[in-house]
Amino acid sequence: MMSVMTIVSVLFILGGLFFFTTATIGLIRFPDFFTRLHATGKGDTLAVFLSLLGLALYEGFSLTGLKIVIIAIFMFIAQPTATHAISKAGLRFGLKPWMREEDRK
Amino acid sequence: MNNFLIVITLALCLLVFVVLYRVVFGPGVFNRIAAISAIGTKTLVILIIFGYFYNRVEMFIDISLVYALLNFIGCVAAAKYLETEG
Amino acid sequence: MIIRGEDIIIKTISRVLVPFIQLYALYVIMHGHYSPGGGFQGGVILGASMVLLFITHGYAEVNRKFSENIAVLFSSIGVLIYSGIGFLCLLLLGNYLDYSKLYKILSVDPAHARSLGILGVEIGVGFAVMAVMFSIFFDISTGGVSPDDEEEAE
Repeated sequence: MMSVMTIVSVLFILGGLFFFTTATIGLIRFPDFFTRLHATGKGDTLAVFLSLLGLALYEGFSLTGLKIVIIAIFMFIAQPTATHAISKAGLRFGLKPWMREEDRK
Repeated sequence: MNNFLIVITLALCLLVFVVLYRVVFGPGVFNRIAAISAIGTKTLVILIIFGYFYNRVEMFIDISLVYALLNFIGCVAAAKYLETEG
Repeated sequence: MIIRGEDIIIKTISRVLVPFIQLYALYVIMHGHYSPGGGFQGGVILGASMVLLFITHGYAEVNRKFSENIAVLFSSIGVLIYSGIGFLCLLLLGNYLDYSKLYKILSVDPAHARSLGILGVEIGVGFAVMAVMFSIFFDISTGGVSPDDEEEAE
């Protein structure tokens, strides 16, 4: 019989896997650099946060669980910053954002 | 729970291979950097789950924190370099 | 107008993160006996934090905090700590880096002396790796010529 904590952590990890999958589909299917970054930048951040929170709940309230939460907080700060840096570099490099055919005229 | 974590690990490995398509065929260097950053975040989670298989979670957490750190620094450094390039 | 190389978000986040990265590097050096890591890995993380500061804040800011001359000095100090502990063991009638002989001057039992000796050597290795990595990065990014030298030449 699984405890309540284990069931909650399984739900969190499954949510993380769902967002990882959607971010990957966006990275493969979207038409240009900025839209792909829009998919992975937000999706991966939330997915890592949910997965690590689930693993920390499974570990329980200990030093190891606290360290996992610290990694989650670090990723929640660092991942959007890295995405911002690379997207701004692409904009300054001169990559053109994608538009629909009728908007392009 | 152990079987569940194995399934999660296999799914994440599959996703890493899907993202690898963008690294190999992605047009331009910026798409490749974005894809490598996405692979890094998936590897971070895979490393911590590996800790549960070996019953040494506290050891693998240190490795994965360093991995997250170097992923962030590498991404910012590549962005800075390419910004001054063109 | 966009100013090249200036970005308030990246600058602020890196300024907040760098002290925590350095604290974690010291933890890796000190905790090397029980978990992966040790002198080399901790030194690399320390060097990476300085590289992050260099990338985001530019040459002048880093040169004020940790200049190239100090980096060369630190690498020499690191090697001095390492070889000094080794030769100290030779003077105490042991082999080179035979830490257990250090109990004669540390006034603890040999097992503790071995642990403390390894810690001292790892601190030396960490200093040397951090300073050498950072001075290599300095040389690559400035092309071997620091802006101070150019000012003096003019």
